[in-house]
Amino acid sequence: MTMAENSSSSTDIPLISLRQICKSFGGIHALENVSFDLNRGDVVGLVGDNGAGKSTLIKTLAGAHDPTSGDILLEGAPQTLSPPSQAQKLGIETVYQDLSLINSFNAAENFFLGREVAFGGGPALFRFMRRKAMADTAIKGLEDLNIDIPGVRTKAVERMSGGQRQIIAIARGAFWGHKLLLLDEPTAALGVRESREVLELIRRLSSKGLTIMMVTHNLEHLWQVCNRVVVMRRGRKVADLASSETNLEEVVAYITGAKQPAGTLAQGASA
Amino acid sequence: MSVENSLPKGTAANSEAPPARITEPTPKPQFLSSQQRALLLRVLGTYGTIIVLVLMLIVFSILQPGTFATPNNFRNILNDMAIGTIVAAGLTVPLVAGDFDLSIGYVASFCGMLIVGLLSFNQLPIPVAILIVIAVGMAIGIVNGIIVSKVGVNAFIATLGTGTVVVGLNYAYAGGIPLQLTHSTEFTDLAIGRIWGIPHLIIIMALILGLLWLVLNRTVQGQHIKAIGVSAESARRGGVAVDRSRIVAFAIAGTCAAIGGILVASNLGSGQVTGGDSFMLTSFSAAFLGSAALKEGQFHILGTLIGVLTVAVGNNGLAMIGAPIFTQFLFSGCLLVIAVALGGIGRRYGKGA
Repeated sequence: MTMAENSSSSTDIPLISLRQICKSFGGIHALENVSFDLNRGDVVGLVGDNGAGKSTLIKTLAGAHDPTSGDILLEGAPQTLSPPSQAQKLGIETVYQDLSLINSFNAAENFFLGREVAFGGGPALFRFMRRKAMADTAIKGLEDLNIDIPGVRTKAVERMSGGQRQIIAIARGAFWGHKLLLLDEPTAALGVRESREVLELIRRLSSKGLTIMMVTHNLEHLWQVCNRVVVMRRGRKVADLASSETNLEEVVAYITGAKQPAGTLAQGASA
Repeated sequence: MSVENSLPKGTAANSEAPPARITEPTPKPQFLSSQQRALLLRVLGTYGTIIVLVLMLIVFSILQPGTFATPNNFRNILNDMAIGTIVAAGLTVPLVAGDFDLSIGYVASFCGMLIVGLLSFNQLPIPVAILIVIAVGMAIGIVNGIIVSKVGVNAFIATLGTGTVVVGLNYAYAGGIPLQLTHSTEFTDLAIGRIWGIPHLIIIMALILGLLWLVLNRTVQGQHIKAIGVSAESARRGGVAVDRSRIVAFAIAGTCAAIGGILVASNLGSGQVTGGDSFMLTSFSAAFLGSAALKEGQFHILGTLIGVLTVAVGNNGLAMIGAPIFTQFLFSGCLLVIAVALGGIGRRYGKGA
């Protein structure tokens, strides 16, 4: 029915395949039989109304939720992604909407939060941080992405603008996530100019070959960076379209339920 | 259908709003403009404690130049505050992680009794007895940490509970009567002795403060403790072992409380049932005062030292000018409230005002 499912049966193995993923919280079915593939280099926009299951899906990929049933295949092999540290170990990084930055830390410290470079071994109490090495690496990592933010090693991120904070959070995710980067509403809290910078960064990351999945409410932003659109509605995947082969009206129709996927009982569907 | 629903408020308007506010004349003549007021509060939140300390030093020096402002008196102040500083610095670590520990005073009392008992009744060698007592303090801290992080009991209530249990242990151990140190001047020498004229207590205090500063500011563990204090959820997502870090923080507080108890016993030459209880209040007071020193409402080791110094200088000065003893309690109590207020001001007005 869609591009993704056609390509999954072809020769090259997708980066991640979700197979019949279900997730329920008590009696609520947040995800019902969601299946799709993410191919290397994809930039997928995940859209849907509130409560459609976008967050649950992202959190499942991030390892924050363990699916109730269904399989996740990473490069063809069945894999458990939870807890989040496991997903991170596998190269999957998530940038949550709250950015998960430590406000009083500078950008370099945030870059290495939980993964500090240190002298010595054993318990964390006896490992001394190599602050200069961390700051140098963070600065180089930002330079590699053409990011110019002053005060990486001196300025607490709480003194930075919302756009700078978002860029730091995404750069951190890209720095550690060599396989998949999950972005939750990366432009929701930003102004026009800052959104443009963040979208620019996402495009650059994509051109470096990183696979990205982003949740967004802003369909214009989606069109600027995504090559695929996955539409969720009431816990189900209702559409999986190539951006070049669809348009805003069609996506909106899927989001609102005006248009329903082929093969289901399409009552009152216009197409 | 409109699909554009980004929210360009706040950040986008940044470049225009402030100048508009500045040029607009205030309708009523005020004592301070809002900006001056914010600056004042920020200064208070960042330097409030230091201002109080310096003011007291000046006032008491003018009132009692002959007795207060002497090197000997300052050495006495440092010596008298040393044990309290060690306990307060230990408490600072869980405070940095965002957890209260109300058990430290009772742990110090119990450990003071325990060391005297181990030396006098069990005839243990001093180093062995000290190691056992420190291990007990650390173990109580670890229990605190496990109850708070793994079981999820609010730290305030949990440590109040464990602290009360420790009081029970104290009474069970010695029946609620003071223990006399039968012999061993070597043990009392621990707190009373001097090296090159510098009291041991001041040296021990300096060593422990330095060690805790290193732990908090240079080790991975310290970085994690600080991160948890700002946002435990963000730290967890970054891969920080949140529970373990909180347990370590409580263990450090318990260890320092035990060291404090040992030194109190050494200083007095006996085990007093409630010998360390007062450390609870003085430590919180010092740590909160310290949070309004230099770091805009954050707890930190140097701040706690400044906080203890402020309380100690105040009490010493009041005694020097012959103020009745009750004024010291009034002073300490008021200072604690002011300290918390200053720390809060620092947190609220510290950034970007």
